[in-house]
Amino acid sequence: MRPNTAVQAHHFEALGTNCSLFGVDVSSADLLRGEFWVRELGARVTRFSERSELWVLNRSKGDWVDISLEMESLLREAVRAYRLSAGLVNVAVLPSMIAIGYTRSLGEGVPIATAGESRPAPVLTDVLTVQKRRARLEPGCGIDLGGIAKGWMADRLAEQLGRNVLANLGGDLRAAGPGPAGDGWPVGFAATTVMLCNQGAATSSVRRRRWGEVHHLIDPRTGQPSRSGLEEVSVVTATGCDAEVVAKTALLLGPGLATAYCAAHAQAWWLQ
Amino acid sequence: MRSFLLKLGATLLTLGTTVASAVYVTAHLKNPSAPLQPAVLASQQGGQVGGVTITPGVRQGDVQPVTSTYAS
Repeated sequence: MRPNTAVQAHHFEALGTNCSLFGVDVSSADLLRGEFWVRELGARVTRFSERSELWVLNRSKGDWVDISLEMESLLREAVRAYRLSAGLVNVAVLPSMIAIGYTRSLGEGVPIATAGESRPAPVLTDVLTVQKRRARLEPGCGIDLGGIAKGWMADRLAEQLGRNVLANLGGDLRAAGPGPAGDGWPVGFAATTVMLCNQGAATSSVRRRRWGEVHHLIDPRTGQPSRSGLEEVSVVTATGCDAEVVAKTALLLGPGLATAYCAAHAQAWWLQ
Repeated sequence: MRSFLLKLGATLLTLGTTVASAVYVTAHLKNPSAPLQPAVLASQQGGQVGGVTITPGVRQGDVQPVTSTYAS
């Protein structure tokens, strides 16, 4: 273990949440550039802005849409997440999210719960086709990249910023390199501290982003907010995006199956 | 004669290997009470709901965390 090295830190709000970047041997300008990258890409993949790529795709009515390289990677990651979770992490739950009133960013005000129709989400690979720099979404379908985007961006950011950095985008985080003292990046995980080195972590919860009796985490099997019996799951995996997928899958599986799923896919986990 | 001896030797070698393998396998039966791999280093409440489970791939520390994973 080497002596503690000065850690450069940068905190900001983006993606509708709190973000933090940490780095050793990186400048504050590097971290600021990281913030700009998050904001710029976040504006392109949000479903709430009429100027975003996702907005265009969600309203394409079955037509092919040209997409950026980043959007292509994100959509491919969403398909991979669908397969990794056996269909439980399904970005095509947008119609159900709209049905429960989640029609605008929570920063713009609390959603109004509605009695709209919720239905099971479609098979993602049946409705979303991704090709080189273009994508097609079946008419009547919509996607929300939500947590997938945060985990994926944390992974990309950690690669871009330097060799010894930590990117935390709203709790979806990726730690790269040996950390400030050479034994990993110290990260609060449940009631303990874990030293992450080239690993990711995430928490999935139904305690936040909720209004009335409704919360944002949709079970694609029912189209309704999850009632699995679990309220919060935190995991450590190899990447931030995998952590997001595994945490959400475990939460949706519920207490009966979550432990076995985490044992197969995570390096550490906390279920509540 | 030489051909016969070679065939006999090969047969004996094959039979000997078979018998030795059978003896070895019998003496090394799977232990049903062997620990699961990878072993769980630290587990509170046996990985059930409310417990933290940490495998050998993750180290625990006693320093102040710089950040945490949290619900957002």
